[in-house]
Amino acid sequence: MYRYDEFDAQFVAERTKQFRGQVERRLAGRLSENEFRPLRLMNGLYLQLHAYMLRVAIPYGTLSSEQFRMLAHLAEKYDRGYGHVTTRQNMQYNWPKLPDVPDMLDDLASVQMHAIQTSGNCIRNVTCDPYAGATAEEIEDPRPMAELIRQWSTLHPEFSFLPRKFKIAVTAAEKDRALIKAHDIGIQVVKDASGEIGYKIIVGGGLGRTPIIGQTLRDYLPKSELLAYLTAALRVYNRYGRRDNKYKARIKILVQETGIEAFREQVEAEYATIDIGDIAVSDAERDRIKSYFANPDFETLEDNPADFTKALEDNQAFRLWAKNNVAAHKADGYAIVNVSLKPKELAPGDITAEQMRATADLADTYSFGELRTTHTQNLVLPHVKKSDLFALYKELEKIGLATANINLISDIICCPGMDFCALATARSIPISQAIAERFADPERQRTIGEMQIKISGCINACGHHHVGHIGILGLEKAGVEFYQVKLGGDSSENAAVGKVTGPGFSQEELLDGIENIVELYLAQREEGERFLDTYNRIGMAPFKEVLYA
Amino acid sequence: MSTLKHKGKGPQAMTANELRDGFSVWLDENLDWSRDYANALRTEDQDLIDRMQLKAETDEAKNLVVGTYFIDVEPDTGLPARYREKFRVNGPSYDTADLLEAK
Repeated sequence: MYRYDEFDAQFVAERTKQFRGQVERRLAGRLSENEFRPLRLMNGLYLQLHAYMLRVAIPYGTLSSEQFRMLAHLAEKYDRGYGHVTTRQNMQYNWPKLPDVPDMLDDLASVQMHAIQTSGNCIRNVTCDPYAGATAEEIEDPRPMAELIRQWSTLHPEFSFLPRKFKIAVTAAEKDRALIKAHDIGIQVVKDASGEIGYKIIVGGGLGRTPIIGQTLRDYLPKSELLAYLTAALRVYNRYGRRDNKYKARIKILVQETGIEAFREQVEAEYATIDIGDIAVSDAERDRIKSYFANPDFETLEDNPADFTKALEDNQAFRLWAKNNVAAHKADGYAIVNVSLKPKELAPGDITAEQMRATADLADTYSFGELRTTHTQNLVLPHVKKSDLFALYKELEKIGLATANINLISDIICCPGMDFCALATARSIPISQAIAERFADPERQRTIGEMQIKISGCINACGHHHVGHIGILGLEKAGVEFYQVKLGGDSSENAAVGKVTGPGFSQEELLDGIENIVELYLAQREEGERFLDTYNRIGMAPFKEVLYA
Repeated sequence: MSTLKHKGKGPQAMTANELRDGFSVWLDENLDWSRDYANALRTEDQDLIDRMQLKAETDEAKNLVVGTYFIDVEPDTGLPARYREKFRVNGPSYDTADLLEAK
């Protein structure tokens, strides 16, 4: 886990003190709302539909158990007893009160956290593969690189007022769990022909009202050149990105309108003007950062200990949970545990303070005190001994977090929608709950297999509906909510934007339509096919026919 | 504050958010702010509407509320005309906090 250096600690302390003063002046009337609004947004504080909302940054989705306990404390002391994991791996609180927010930020600072750059037209929190540092699929742990970008982008004077917000995601595995092709910049750790580790840079991806899959800007960038190259790309965007129309201001529009070849030429021309040595990070500094992400002290273990295999044989529920929620770890005898935040009774991504505390304790007992948040609004315990899995499962069961539905039809990504968000046009949480209820039978879920449903309550697409196998967009007309359906989206390394099926549906029609789609898929699928595979093989027409039947 | 324009025709109500707590509020018949829409003053009387406007501006200047704006009201039901505003009246249809309180 990275620990703040002196600079981090000082700037966060200064920033929270500064914001306390700003809140005091606002409450005393010495700052108007127009003056205060940009200041509160810079500190992650929004005014939503019913109340304020504070968005706390979780850099690259990595948390210590101590930090998670603090998030529980905030939920309990200042909010209404729960938090919400977002699709950018952050934590949101839906009911903070303005006078309390400086205290919340002080509490966060005490565990090296803050809410800076979780809003505004700046470089936002860097997101990351939640399996980083734990999966054998990666070339190396991408988090030291993500941390480097965090340090570089935090309060960056040149990039604090970009044309629009700027989101970066990183991964070091071929299998993309960070949605890098749907970010302003996506970075993949790769090797060149000689085996040297560097970065592939993807640019111009994004969801929102204009979904675009990112394109390759550079196939290979030497490690030492990362910050200089990012600087060049950001400068081109800062210079040419549109500021006259916020709906066309993201870098994806610039890249699309410029063309990737011409955009690349602009970036390379800018890059040629930069003194790489001036901005490059020394190997010593890179090693210093990397040392914070060193492997925990893994024991030398048998990969499949007898007590684990016996528990699998003896307990069917555990076996099913392990099959769905547990992933392979790079160290023999260890596993990566996905903790589903999609139990039927809660909104996707919501977790109570009690559950947070209990999970933090479990992280201490079973996962070297470390947790991750995921963009799919779940949690990960990254380093669990296989011999502990059954005990962990039983503990998770007690706190209602043992739902065995990772990547199944009820593991739905869902934005807060009209229930909380000021931008939403329709509700999304009740739709996700209705779908989860309709497909509640675990056996049926497993029969259906991998199925990613993603729901957004407006065209801003925080619920990633464009890349859902089934994407659902909530809209409203004449006081009635209706839901448009997309099919064939893909959030993996084969990222694709789904296609709209046609006119929208009422909630009830939508549920029946999804059921029809699922039934058709089950009837049509060939050996080993997921829904997406069947869709890609037979196309939209038959699905559309049953959807509108 | 709503980014959607209201027509400004028919009965009107004045809404805002409390500065301190952020909750949605509406001006009532005494031109005080109420968290309960049932108390909201809904009127077509231009004099009253002018007074509501003045009160809203005054209280915004006094830093009691933020983001004041008029909303259109359905004459027959008394409810806000726009879906979004109907929703603000009722609060979230789902909130995990409600489950915790029920426990």
